[in-house]
Amino acid sequence: MSSLRKKIDRMKTHLGSENAPENPPPSANRESGEKTRADIPFLEQWEKENVHPYFFDGEYCLVREKRFPLDLKHGKYRFSQFIDAVSAWHRSESSHPLSAKVFSPEDLFFFDIETTGLGGGTGNTIFLLGQASIEGDSVVLKQHFLPRPGAEVPLYQSFLESINYSTLVTYNGKSFDWPLVKTKHTLIREHLPRLPSFGHFDLFHAAKRLWKHKLERLKLSVVEEEVLGIKREHDIPGFLAPMIYFDFVERQNPEGIIAVMKHNETDILSLITLYIHLTFQLLGIDHKQTAKEIFEVGRWYAYLGETGRAAEAFSHAAESGGAASIEAKLALSRQLKKQQKWLEAVRLWKEVADGQQNDAAFQACIELAKFYEHKEKNIQNAILYAKKAETLLNKEWKMNHSEKNGRLSEEVQKRIQRLNRKILTL
Amino acid sequence: MKARKSLSQFLEELKLESSFKENIVHWHTIDEKEAKTVDLPEDIDEKLARALERRGINRLYTHQYSSYQHIRAGKSIVAVTPTASGKTLCYNLPVLQSMVENPHTRALYIFPTKALAQDQKSEINELIQEAGLDINSYTYDGDTSPSIRSKVRKAGHVVITNPDMLHAAILPHHTKWVALFENLKYVVIDELHIYRGVFGSHVANVIRRLRRICRFYGSDPVFICTSATIANPLELAEQLTEKKMELVDNNGAPSGRKHFVFYNPPIINKPLNIRRSATLEARKLAGELLKNKIQTIVFARSRVRVEILLTYLQELVKHQLGPKAIRGYRGGYLPTERRAIEKGLRNGDIYGVVSTNALELGVDIGQLQVCIMTGYPGSIASSWQQAGRAGRRHSESLVIMVASSNPLDQYIIQHPDYFFGSSPETARINPDNLIILIDHIKCAAYELPFKSGEVFGSFDTEEILEYLAEERVLYKNGDKWYWMNDSFPAHNVSLRSASQENVVIIDQTNIAKVRVIGEMDRFSAMTLLHEEAIYLHQGIQYQVEKLDWEEKKAFVREVKVDYFTDANLAVELKVLEEDKKRTSDHIEMAYGDVSVLAKATIFKKIKFETHENIGSGPIFLPEEELHTSAAWISMNKKETGLSESRLEQGLLGAAHALGSIAPLFVMSDRSDIHVVPQVKAVHNDKPTIFFYDRYPGGVGLSEKIYEGMENVLQETKALIERCGCENGCPSCVGMDSRTESAKEDALRLLKMFLGK
Repeated sequence: MSSLRKKIDRMKTHLGSENAPENPPPSANRESGEKTRADIPFLEQWEKENVHPYFFDGEYCLVREKRFPLDLKHGKYRFSQFIDAVSAWHRSESSHPLSAKVFSPEDLFFFDIETTGLGGGTGNTIFLLGQASIEGDSVVLKQHFLPRPGAEVPLYQSFLESINYSTLVTYNGKSFDWPLVKTKHTLIREHLPRLPSFGHFDLFHAAKRLWKHKLERLKLSVVEEEVLGIKREHDIPGFLAPMIYFDFVERQNPEGIIAVMKHNETDILSLITLYIHLTFQLLGIDHKQTAKEIFEVGRWYAYLGETGRAAEAFSHAAESGGAASIEAKLALSRQLKKQQKWLEAVRLWKEVADGQQNDAAFQACIELAKFYEHKEKNIQNAILYAKKAETLLNKEWKMNHSEKNGRLSEEVQKRIQRLNRKILTL
Repeated sequence: MKARKSLSQFLEELKLESSFKENIVHWHTIDEKEAKTVDLPEDIDEKLARALERRGINRLYTHQYSSYQHIRAGKSIVAVTPTASGKTLCYNLPVLQSMVENPHTRALYIFPTKALAQDQKSEINELIQEAGLDINSYTYDGDTSPSIRSKVRKAGHVVITNPDMLHAAILPHHTKWVALFENLKYVVIDELHIYRGVFGSHVANVIRRLRRICRFYGSDPVFICTSATIANPLELAEQLTEKKMELVDNNGAPSGRKHFVFYNPPIINKPLNIRRSATLEARKLAGELLKNKIQTIVFARSRVRVEILLTYLQELVKHQLGPKAIRGYRGGYLPTERRAIEKGLRNGDIYGVVSTNALELGVDIGQLQVCIMTGYPGSIASSWQQAGRAGRRHSESLVIMVASSNPLDQYIIQHPDYFFGSSPETARINPDNLIILIDHIKCAAYELPFKSGEVFGSFDTEEILEYLAEERVLYKNGDKWYWMNDSFPAHNVSLRSASQENVVIIDQTNIAKVRVIGEMDRFSAMTLLHEEAIYLHQGIQYQVEKLDWEEKKAFVREVKVDYFTDANLAVELKVLEEDKKRTSDHIEMAYGDVSVLAKATIFKKIKFETHENIGSGPIFLPEEELHTSAAWISMNKKETGLSESRLEQGLLGAAHALGSIAPLFVMSDRSDIHVVPQVKAVHNDKPTIFFYDRYPGGVGLSEKIYEGMENVLQETKALIERCGCENGCPSCVGMDSRTESAKEDALRLLKMFLGK
């Protein structure tokens, strides 16, 4: 043993260990030179699962391909409804960021990766790149797998040859998957073609907008189960993927990896279902939409400045009755106020002001007070509503001494004082 | 109404007033110095030249000119510059000029703290704006908002950051910084002297990683370092960057008249040679100055001292100036708190600041007139840095060094020639410290795979890569080693603290509003955050109610008590391997690896004003084990001619004195090198004194002690001989040995170690 090595062993207690080995380390460095089919362990087993090697530059990666008929149902929808969804965008005038108006169904590819760690650092290895798209009467799934670190060139070569599309569809891919692909590509860019640029639909942000109110966590698997009606069976949890991969690198047995591939497959197919569902929500095609969902759709359009669509969604939600309808009325009234449609706005405010929801009623009263003070110049009425607002706030205050309520209370006081002064000078 | 005194009136008073005068042992005046200047270099862009002229710079100081010429010729440099000598122009000028010539040029500025980075950003941006150049400079640190990060990465010509950020955020994400790394022409390392010891050894490895990534993108930047005065700036710069360097030390900046006063507090106990506490004297001096609104900075050596002084001073001038006029400043405060203090000093809302060496660095806090050091700062280089805080802008200024009773202080204060005459200390780093090195090889492997036979800086990596493959952190395929782990290694490595996990300090005074008020490294926490310890933060006393060692959390609550706490650390030591050895007669000196077991045992409660011991208690914390390097010296017991107990007391005394002198030779904090005596060392059964590096694996301090052992022994002997006490005192052999013969026996042992 060298003295350096002895020293390393002695210092072991001070060396933070990343993980403790239980078995002998992986048998690395077996051979070098051109790889052939004969070099691939468990090839027969791989091929049984439709996984075939892809050779490039003397190295290889593994590629799994699988076709699904368009009439196959995944969760609530059949894949063929994706084509309906794209057509629906074509008919629509909306410039919503998820609009596929300028695309045909074949232009989009659904994308998801599996990695050895978290975050976007250069040392986080992507070992599986999965994609799916429409081809004729099928959904074609393709997965590119890294058989061991160092085979990145064939992996990305294989991937780059298969992505002749214009837009990718992911779940949180804007902040995770795609930047990491860029990072890994940069590391070996002199051996590869350029990474093309794509449009990008990140469905995570859409899911967050529509279902934040009812889902505590917005992981894809939660959305699948709670919204899309997808039940996973025999699925391995995603967080185990790195360990399964490390184990594979050591033992080369495909079994665990094939399970990871199936997990990734479900993720990608769910993206298709999710895109269909989101489209149907946004374009008002889904008739089972809850008032709250319609309301959230309206809020999104309002945020995008599509006031017509926003107003449509709000009035739709307002008709439903229930808690969401009050929120929707309030939101709708704001749209109306912007458009100076005072009559309708006032009608909605009065409805909300007489309703059961304190917070909304309070806001409506304030709006009415403003309206009567500045538009109608009816100070009497303005005072009436300002005082009603004060009463409502006092009820709130008893339950919640929050900073916000304190501030609101101050504002209401000021408003009332000002109105009282005005009435004296009249 | 009493008129306020000016600084010059105060100087007169110091000379005449007996309560001051008698304590002044040396008054050194440094005359003002004329500037030495040269014309602006001819190749400077017209716009830049005019911008400089508008800021009143028509000529360059000699050192700025030399720096410019070397850097433009593609040479790396280290410029040695005192405070306020215009060092920023040494790098800003050549860097901006290159950017004018080629807009693709990129530069990376590394400052040891965020505060310095902020400062420098304002400075360089002013110059850029004045010249109307299209150059972007940004800071990139924990405070940079996520929305502009991507802009900084792509479009920042000058990226200003700190080593920690480089280590944990930039290098592991280098693919997002392609524009920077492909075009990186300059790396500026400011305050080079800070990168010594453990921190320096870490940073040297971060630079190895930086240069490795630069090579990957095809760049090989010029390094521009600036340093305060130390003995070996060139050696340190070359060791840190592994680049050939040119030394620039022809300082041409002018300086104002400076009075440097050595102040030794009066003896209050003659037989024991005990002096009044430096803290009390510093308080008296600072109080006098602050009452007259003379802006003063007080340096104290430890966080605890800062807090004690702060409490004293705030109380003293509460009515004249208000409590906010005097502030504390040290590491462990949260960043926003620190920024506010820096600003207050600059705009004059704050008259006084009590600081640890955190303010030694070049943060621009404007013009302070007086600097008071509570105790010798531990190194000559540090002293000059702190002294530079007074009178930065060429006015008359005063520096007062108040000595404490400890032997090193007494040695310095009684040897002004040594202080003013000798060259300052050597900064030591050990980039090849195995623990540090392996951590950074992990980080480097995460960043880019290692090739077989690749060297990491100057270190051959093969054996370490194999070890990491066995640990299943790396995976070898063909001739490359790949990262194969789900962790992010840089997050497990802290560049600053000795131990890897910090203890978080949580204030639970208000149960509804529990908050984190600071953090501390694990080793310090053993003696400062044990249960019942009094922890001070911004002058407020907290008592530690619970220390959760497993979770690394200390829960504290505000209290008001009239004491502070001081804890004892018991140490057990074993030699593992002897690397170097020399013997003469019955004396044996060696250097090698040791194992140290440390355990906090008891703490004492010490009353503020009188410093008397008013209580004590046990500390229940597990032992910490440390593997490190050490130097030691042994002799045969029978040659000493002393009884077992006298031998023990003598060794204890000698070790105490040695422990105070040793830092002089190795530019380290007192706590970085420990001295431990053993009557019968485990490895050779002989009376032995050990000097060990406190950081696992060692950072080269004890090796330096081994090389200069005779010198250390000689100076320590001289210190004890010259001490005025009768039977030993805190200023020489310490108070732990309580026998009458301790001083005599310590001297006898030192002489024998020296072969006399």
